[in-house]
Amino acid sequence: MPQSARLEALALAGDLPGVLLDARRLAAAAPGFHGRRTAGQGEAFWQYRDHRAEDGARLVDWRRSARGDRYYVREREREAAQTAWFWLDPDPGFNWSADPKRVTKLRRARTIALALAILLQRGGERVGALGCQPRAGANAVLRLAHDLQGKVSDADAPANACIIFCSDFYAPIETWRARLTAAATAGASGALVMVADPAEEDFPFEGRTLFQSPGSRVEALIGRAETARDLYAERLAAHRHAIRELGARLGFPAVLHRTDHSAAPTLALLAALISERFA
Amino acid sequence: MTIGPILFGAPWALVALAALPALWWLLRATPPPPQRAAFPPARLLQGLHTEEQSRERAPLWLVLFRALAATLLILAFARPSLAPTAAEAADGGRTLIVIDDGWTSAPFWSDTRTTALAAVARAERANAPVFVLLTAPANPARDPGEALTASGARSLMQRLEPKPWRPDRADAARRLAQTQGEFARIVWISDGLEDSGAQALAAELQRRGPVTAHLPARTAYALVSGAVTPNGVEATAIRANSGEGAAAIAAETLEGRSLGAAELRFSGDGRSASARIELPPEIAARTARVRIVGEQSAGAVRLLPAGAARPFVGLVDQGGEGQLLVSELYYADRALQPYASLLRGSIGELIDARAQALILPDSSRIAPTDRSALERWLDNGGLLVRFAGPRLANDSDDLLPVRLRPGSRSLGGALAWENQLSIAPFPIDSPFAGLTPPQDVVARQQVLAEPASLEQARVWATLSDNSPLVTAAPHGRGLVVLFHVSAGPAWSDLPLSGLFVDMLRRSLAFAGRADGAGERDISGGPFTPTRLMDGFGALNAPPADAEPIAAERFTTARSSPATPPGMYERAGVSAAIDAAQANEMLAPLQLPAGVTRAGLRSTIERPMAGYFFGAAAVLLALDLLIALFLMGRLPRMPNFAPFARRAAPLVLLLLLMAAPDARAQARDDPTLNLHLAYVRTGDARIDRNSAEGLDALTQMLIDRTSVEPGAPVGVDLARDDLSPYPFLYWPAPNTPTRLSDAALANLDRYLAIGGMLFVDTRDAGRSGGGARPAATMLAGLDAPPLQQVTSEHVVARAFYLLRSFPGRTQSTQLWAESPDAASSRDGVAALFVGDGDWASAWANGASLAGGARQRELSLRFGVNMVMVALTGNYKADQVHIPALLERMGEERR
Repeated sequence: MPQSARLEALALAGDLPGVLLDARRLAAAAPGFHGRRTAGQGEAFWQYRDHRAEDGARLVDWRRSARGDRYYVREREREAAQTAWFWLDPDPGFNWSADPKRVTKLRRARTIALALAILLQRGGERVGALGCQPRAGANAVLRLAHDLQGKVSDADAPANACIIFCSDFYAPIETWRARLTAAATAGASGALVMVADPAEEDFPFEGRTLFQSPGSRVEALIGRAETARDLYAERLAAHRHAIRELGARLGFPAVLHRTDHSAAPTLALLAALISERFA
Repeated sequence: MTIGPILFGAPWALVALAALPALWWLLRATPPPPQRAAFPPARLLQGLHTEEQSRERAPLWLVLFRALAATLLILAFARPSLAPTAAEAADGGRTLIVIDDGWTSAPFWSDTRTTALAAVARAERANAPVFVLLTAPANPARDPGEALTASGARSLMQRLEPKPWRPDRADAARRLAQTQGEFARIVWISDGLEDSGAQALAAELQRRGPVTAHLPARTAYALVSGAVTPNGVEATAIRANSGEGAAAIAAETLEGRSLGAAELRFSGDGRSASARIELPPEIAARTARVRIVGEQSAGAVRLLPAGAARPFVGLVDQGGEGQLLVSELYYADRALQPYASLLRGSIGELIDARAQALILPDSSRIAPTDRSALERWLDNGGLLVRFAGPRLANDSDDLLPVRLRPGSRSLGGALAWENQLSIAPFPIDSPFAGLTPPQDVVARQQVLAEPASLEQARVWATLSDNSPLVTAAPHGRGLVVLFHVSAGPAWSDLPLSGLFVDMLRRSLAFAGRADGAGERDISGGPFTPTRLMDGFGALNAPPADAEPIAAERFTTARSSPATPPGMYERAGVSAAIDAAQANEMLAPLQLPAGVTRAGLRSTIERPMAGYFFGAAAVLLALDLLIALFLMGRLPRMPNFAPFARRAAPLVLLLLLMAAPDARAQARDDPTLNLHLAYVRTGDARIDRNSAEGLDALTQMLIDRTSVEPGAPVGVDLARDDLSPYPFLYWPAPNTPTRLSDAALANLDRYLAIGGMLFVDTRDAGRSGGGARPAATMLAGLDAPPLQQVTSEHVVARAFYLLRSFPGRTQSTQLWAESPDAASSRDGVAALFVGDGDWASAWANGASLAGGARQRELSLRFGVNMVMVALTGNYKADQVHIPALLERMGEERR
């Protein structure tokens, strides 16, 4: 178990492997992809089958056929490796939780992204952080986790890519329209993971309160917060609806996740959404 | 202004209470700052206006809280005080305050003063003039007819101190009777004790107005006797009231140092109690006063003048003293031991030690250097007590009160005309007056004065034939006293008698006085005060105008303004006047009917502004916390736990570091264990070599002998104390230099006190007769002559039997201090000089031409050296063993 031991050790050392562990645990419980275990274009040997007339002589595997009386054709496994790209919102407001005991939205988003990446990697797909080199194979998730930890670049989406945007989507709708339109124009599609803190959903504030967005100068003074609760819920719903509309139109269906809920259903839903794309 | 029992000193401040509603409105209108919340979707809230925004108010409870704080602050500024009697109708008439200001009021003087101040305050509110009658006599006495303003009366009360004598109420009544007018109110702040004039005063007071008498809860105690007995210090106290009571008495020196204490227990209705403080006689003799502990009054102190003085006396020891009982100083020493601090030494030493008096036994001329110092010391007020003897009789100097006739007069001997003479009664003007000379004390020999010179001197004591026994004469501001007999029992019985002790003590009363011993002091005269007691029983220096008291009045003097209590002195003898008489009577005061009784402090105003300010401050501090809480700035409590967890080990560590490391100190003290030492030459290679060599030798000693030294120590000749090291190895540096003066002195001292220095020139086998390192190394040292060490020397026998002393080379040369030079140390050599480079041979892993055998022999030599250093010539007789064996063999044959 050198690998898991190493992960355990790394878990003590920093946040990254901790997230990885979360993700592994999450992915282990997820239904996962049933891979494209069929014959097709590829490098790896898949199976020998009987020669059929339409195959022609060029496809006969002579080495195998020479050992018997029948003709065999050597088939390779289909290799249709696609790349899933991940993007995590770098906004300081995303790395926040109302209760210090609860995980931040960013951390939960990272967990979900890595869990999804593990599932995809098992299916043979390549995974990568947007703006970084995508990889396949055993170390791909580790590498991805590392890349997600680093600086997020707002690089242009590669053509025909599958991009998973993880954010709270509180940026103005115009920002998101521009970003998603650019991706869709390049032929990308994918999913939106809307991560929300319960405080943002329930608005448990009372009294005279000055609300400040972390890391920015946006602030709002509310005389009695409890009276603004309904109005806020209304505005939040409208904003979410706009984001969902936009995503649906451009091929990015949205999934909402609360950090006080289990990540497993969200992951399952996401896996279902993505596997359609990868089928 | 009063409201109920509360009196306001500055009632105008209460006007500010009218501003409270405005404050209310202001507080209500200024809400606390909003709480802050981090909230990423804050953008969604922008522009959101709730209807209640403009109606935001501070919460009601907060406004109430702040209004309360403001009210308290305003009330505090109005200087409120709790005065239960302030509500009484303040009568506008004249107020007379009568105060018993004797020592009998001193134990509760602050209560007395507070009560008086309260009476003044009450008169002030009524705008009434105040008259004050003080019952204790004073000089000049206060006129009770003088009207005082309230502030004048207040400052008088604040300055008023109890007198160290009792009130004279009859005189007070007389003084009051001489004034005119009725009083609207008379406040008598009494000591609660009866005296002969109490009834007269009470009658006079009642005649002049309504009287309220303030009596203390417990009246004063008095100490009526105190004496030093063979078993300690005894004292008797009396009191006026009955009931169980206990107090403690303490014996103290003049400086107030406590010598001992004992419990004083009054039985149920007993009016007096005695106690004894158990003290050894020499300690008891130092008692200058006894007092009742905790009773701050002059009457609770008893002065014991005899113990007041404990001079610092030097006994001039001329050396060469023989046996104890014939030693002359022995008798003076024993006589003065309980009464003086004694020090023996030469005249110069004793004067340097600031002795107040010198006792000089029989001596001929004083050395010229001592003589000038002695004269200077005498001029500054020293006391020199000299004794006669054969040497003085033979050849006298002139530091004497009288000129002596040469030779001495022998009385009652076989060849003498006269019989032995006893001591005549002391003249009345002598400091010894009052002592009775026992008839069995006789003088057998004396020195005689030239009759003419007796005119200038005082004769303090004579023999029965009128020949002087003790004479004294001033010298500058000092005094020279001569006993015409010897300090030992050779010439008279005086040193064997108790009279000797008293005579010496009275002589020593003249010791070390700044004003010297004038003619008046010697001949008597009035008693002059040295320390005077105040009403609280403290002894102070007398004021400049303190009057001396004539001797005839002194014996009957009782404490009064003309004869204040304290320590007095006359003719070198201390005496005392006590505040309480020996026959002092204390009885409870009997008040006639019609006098209102009250306790002390019953009319006290208790200022409360402090409490109000305190409460307001607490509320404001709470308000600060509340404001912080409302702003959300208070740290959360759970956050302290991790901090504490982190801090705890740190605190523990700090505590551990602070704990003194006793073991480290013990390790650093070289005297606790034996260490071999080597001299640090400054050459790192040689020093390392020395350390390794001595280390191996130390190991060898531990393995094979009972000597178990600690790790070797390198020393610096110039700086380190060499005395802890019995064995010092000094390898020659490559270029030897001459030692510094400090190092030479250190090394000389080391050799003188018995250290052993082993100098190793390290040049064995090296050819060339160039510079000899040892000559340079030892230059300037008080080096003894050396001789070559042979196998006959004790070094060759001390532990192992050695024939040679191999070092790094097989053949070495070793020199040692010759036994003749070391004769003062019984022939034990303190200095060894050799050339074997032994440290190199001793060191572990030394490669020697002779192999392991050579190293073994070399180490054996090292062991022998250490043994010589530790045991000296203990094994020297080993040298003679062959001869002894041979002789024994011969005998057997």
